Amino acid sequence: MSPALALGVAAALLALATVVGLVLRRRDGRRRDGGTLRFDPADAAEELGSRATLVQFSTEMCARCPQVRRLLRAYASDHDDLRHIEVDLTHRPDLSARYKVLQTPTTFLVDGSGAVRARFHGVPHRHALTEAVAAV
Amino acid sequence: MTTPAGIDPRGPRFAATITAVLLLVATFLALVGISTTPSGPASFGWFAYQPLANATYTPTGWAISSAPLGQRALDPGFLLTVVIALLFLWGVVSPRTAPWSALFRTLVRPRLAPPTELEDPRPPRFSQGVGLFVVGVGLVLHLAGVPWALPIATAAAFIAAFLNAAFAFCLGCQLYLLLQRIGLIGRTAPAA
Repeated sequence: MSPALALGVAAALLALATVVGLVLRRRDGRRRDGGTLRFDPADAAEELGSRATLVQFSTEMCARCPQVRRLLRAYASDHDDLRHIEVDLTHRPDLSARYKVLQTPTTFLVDGSGAVRARFHGVPHRHALTEAVAAV
Repeated sequence: MTTPAGIDPRGPRFAATITAVLLLVATFLALVGISTTPSGPASFGWFAYQPLANATYTPTGWAISSAPLGQRALDPGFLLTVVIALLFLWGVVSPRTAPWSALFRTLVRPRLAPPTELEDPRPPRFSQGVGLFVVGVGLVLHLAGVPWALPIATAAAFIAAFLNAAFAFCLGCQLYLLLQRIGLIGRTAPAA
């Protein structure tokens, strides 16, 4: 391949990688549909909040989980009827399969009956959280 | 296994930046090297010379398939990728002494404010292993004479390193659950 063409391919590769990065950043933290999933509080050995619960799925080695933990804990403490519970998936592949969790942190917004109303992959955007909680 | 001491998260990203640059250069070198070169002209004539009358020439082949092993190994893209693979290996075996990590600690970090948060060192170390695997496959296929294997492997590794450097996207962290489901890592709790 000629050096000029190779340089063009390398530049296109850089452009492609940048586009992929921007797309992933956009999708991160957005509110998504919860589908027909239901969360069983027995999996976390905790009770659900009266209005809604923020269920955070973490693993031991997750770089952004401490940040999300602080965010959700602070958010839940601002609202009386919200609870924040955390589920550790490090040794529970059965749970990650059951709830279709492919990355951590993943956050579910679960209503009082256990239905998953919204999910967030990555660090949730605060405004997306507020919208989702308002819709419960 | 207890959680190891946290590391400054900017260290792995600094290493990923240098690695991404090296991989982009390696991709360029691989593209202009023997990996992508189509075959040259036939080494025999077209006359009705009986001993060669049944010889066939396939102009659509690749030069690397007929090149000797030494020529494949001396390709500049291959040599740079070997260096990159050794750096990945160093990062897996001993992350603290690895060159970019040591460079970060001695030259870059003293000039920065202290980190606001520390991260677990295992995901970046795992990512080094993923990088080693990807470029390793490219190196082996290149030596085996497979055309285009080397630039494709370095391009894939470049995308992962670039995403980590520019967007703090940790591919290893994303892969963990997937690999756990397949059963390669982390299925059983370690003895406390």
